[in-house]
Amino acid sequence: MTTGEREAVLAMLNSAHVTEPTRRALLERLDARYEREFFEVAEFERLQALAVRLLPHDPAEMDLTGTVDRRLIVGVGDGWRYADALPDGEAYRALLAALPDGFETLDGEAQDTAIPALQSSHPRAFEDLLAELTEAFMAHPLTQYRFGYAGFADAPNWPQVGPNELEPREVAYGPQ
Amino acid sequence: MAPSNSLPTDLDVLVIGTGAGGAPLLARLAQAGLKVAALEAGVRHPPEGIATDEVAQLGLFWTDERLSAGNDPVGFGRNNSGRGVGGSTLHYTAYTPRAQPDDLKLRTEFGQGEDWPLEFSELEPYYDELEYFLGVSGPAEYPWGPQRKSAYRHPPLPLNGAARLMQKACAEIGMRTSPAANAALSRPQEQEGYGTRHTCTNRGFCQAGCSIGAKASMDVTFLALAESLGAQIVDGAQVTALTMKDGRVTGAEFMRGDELEHLSAKTVILAAGAVETPRLLLMNGLANSSGQVGRNFMAHVGMQVWGQVEDDLRPYKGIPGGLISEDTHRVDGLIGGYLLQSLGVMPVTYATQYARGTLKWGPELVQHLSGYNHVAGINVLGECLPYEHNYLELSDELDGRGLPKPRIHFSFGENEKKMNAHAEALMRDLWGRIGARDVWSLPRAAHTLGTARMGANPETSVVNPFGRTHDIENLWICDNSTFTSSLSVNPALTQMALSLRTADALIEGLKQA
Repeated sequence: MTTGEREAVLAMLNSAHVTEPTRRALLERLDARYEREFFEVAEFERLQALAVRLLPHDPAEMDLTGTVDRRLIVGVGDGWRYADALPDGEAYRALLAALPDGFETLDGEAQDTAIPALQSSHPRAFEDLLAELTEAFMAHPLTQYRFGYAGFADAPNWPQVGPNELEPREVAYGPQ
Repeated sequence: MAPSNSLPTDLDVLVIGTGAGGAPLLARLAQAGLKVAALEAGVRHPPEGIATDEVAQLGLFWTDERLSAGNDPVGFGRNNSGRGVGGSTLHYTAYTPRAQPDDLKLRTEFGQGEDWPLEFSELEPYYDELEYFLGVSGPAEYPWGPQRKSAYRHPPLPLNGAARLMQKACAEIGMRTSPAANAALSRPQEQEGYGTRHTCTNRGFCQAGCSIGAKASMDVTFLALAESLGAQIVDGAQVTALTMKDGRVTGAEFMRGDELEHLSAKTVILAAGAVETPRLLLMNGLANSSGQVGRNFMAHVGMQVWGQVEDDLRPYKGIPGGLISEDTHRVDGLIGGYLLQSLGVMPVTYATQYARGTLKWGPELVQHLSGYNHVAGINVLGECLPYEHNYLELSDELDGRGLPKPRIHFSFGENEKKMNAHAEALMRDLWGRIGARDVWSLPRAAHTLGTARMGANPETSVVNPFGRTHDIENLWICDNSTFTSSLSVNPALTQMALSLRTADALIEGLKQA
């Protein structure tokens, strides 16, 4: 995250266009970091390596794998799972165990080569992990800034809703 | 008013659940002078506490785990559940189309599916009443269904990007469209028991809760009215059992925090939805002489098609489902039909659906998601027939309270597969006409229906045509589990109509007793 990006995100989050409950949630997420608790050290290294290939990101900027670990510790799920799948934590462990030995030490291209086999052998866990990482990625204020997404800055209203009818704050937010 | 931690006594009626099934009747019964209370598993979510952020709003959904089985497992959580004072109406999109008369007569028309044990003319006055009370915004002339007795109370909400693109594409192939009926305000409205509900600010986050009070969720409408008339709502109260004596229900046991408590009432109305209602009945072995509790699970055909366009659409703005067409209400070769709706979408919902739907990953995934501002969606909502192979049962796996998790089996039948194919082809054609690129489709199922069906025959149904269980004289059900067929429209408005109708029947019965 460059200083400029951080300043732009904070300026918008602290503006009157963002309601208090929204600001609280996004400010907390911007800097959220979690200690590994659920996974073993070796598992967590594999998860981090896999997550960077599935959702290319800089773990120093956004702690996607920590978000997954945290969720498994807290025990709140998304309300359902495939009946033929293991509970989330166990399913993810089995998924990570199915990666080739030394996966986390391979270069990116070699890691990518191993992913399709993982997807076919553990389709449910692969889909669930991909969706969970995608959620953490898309919900992160930095991703939202980089994608020019300003939907959270909805106060007091959006007077125009047609194509290309943008408010100045929508035009200005994001890489120019 | 009594403090929320003191429990009411001498209740005439106890309602379990405060969504579109439980809330209207709670107000109606209170209005009739009955002493009523409701138990709600979730907590209160007042508009001023609602964040414009999907992750922060996860608390609106039922996140206790459900197990999804079958060839087309149904997603729950954010997709098909609600928890909180107001139930699923806290996150519904406020779509309020009426059922059409022939929706209620599927078997008569096609020899398949089921007929409802009631007539459209019995629902119509309730539709009229509800649309006024909720403050539905809609077109001056609605092109489908019987002539309305009165106009919608408010003019339609503005059409967002996806709605305008659908309008243009449909016009090219001669399909009629109309601004949809939405229970969100295009003008401010005074709401009895609540105060002023403000005009919709076009924030497009209806599915994560309305922070304005513009959307007619139950908390700012019927529940506010009910409480102003003396009804008590006990929130954070998860019902774990119904209590019985001499063949009659005597009340409900529930957990608040770690405390197990009990409320007694002369009559109990289950309004916990098509998963929790049959789950509770099966756990307690009640109201199931027909063997139909948990059977006939239905979920609407809900195929979506998405694409990206050059225009900057900002799919987070405007009422998500601004435009509708019911020209596909009947389609040659299909039993029943479907309606077509434009779709705005919130970013995390879009992203996770794209990931699950396409299984793309890596730079390709991120590249696509970076175009979120240009996303336009369109979807259908279509008839789902009841089948023997679609049902809810109790699993051996226990939840945090030691109660069995429900397992829901769902597989599309031949008619749903044909409908999906028809709808996908139509929507891909339409999105081709607007020049959408990266078009992809997501077959899905929406709403939970039918697991304690309504009928005149006690051998094939769980409740009678007014919602009273055939087996237990003072136990009623009023939620989407009683739907005899799925109807080819979003269920909320019809659910509320059934709720008022059940209340009126109960009040009438008490008068005669």
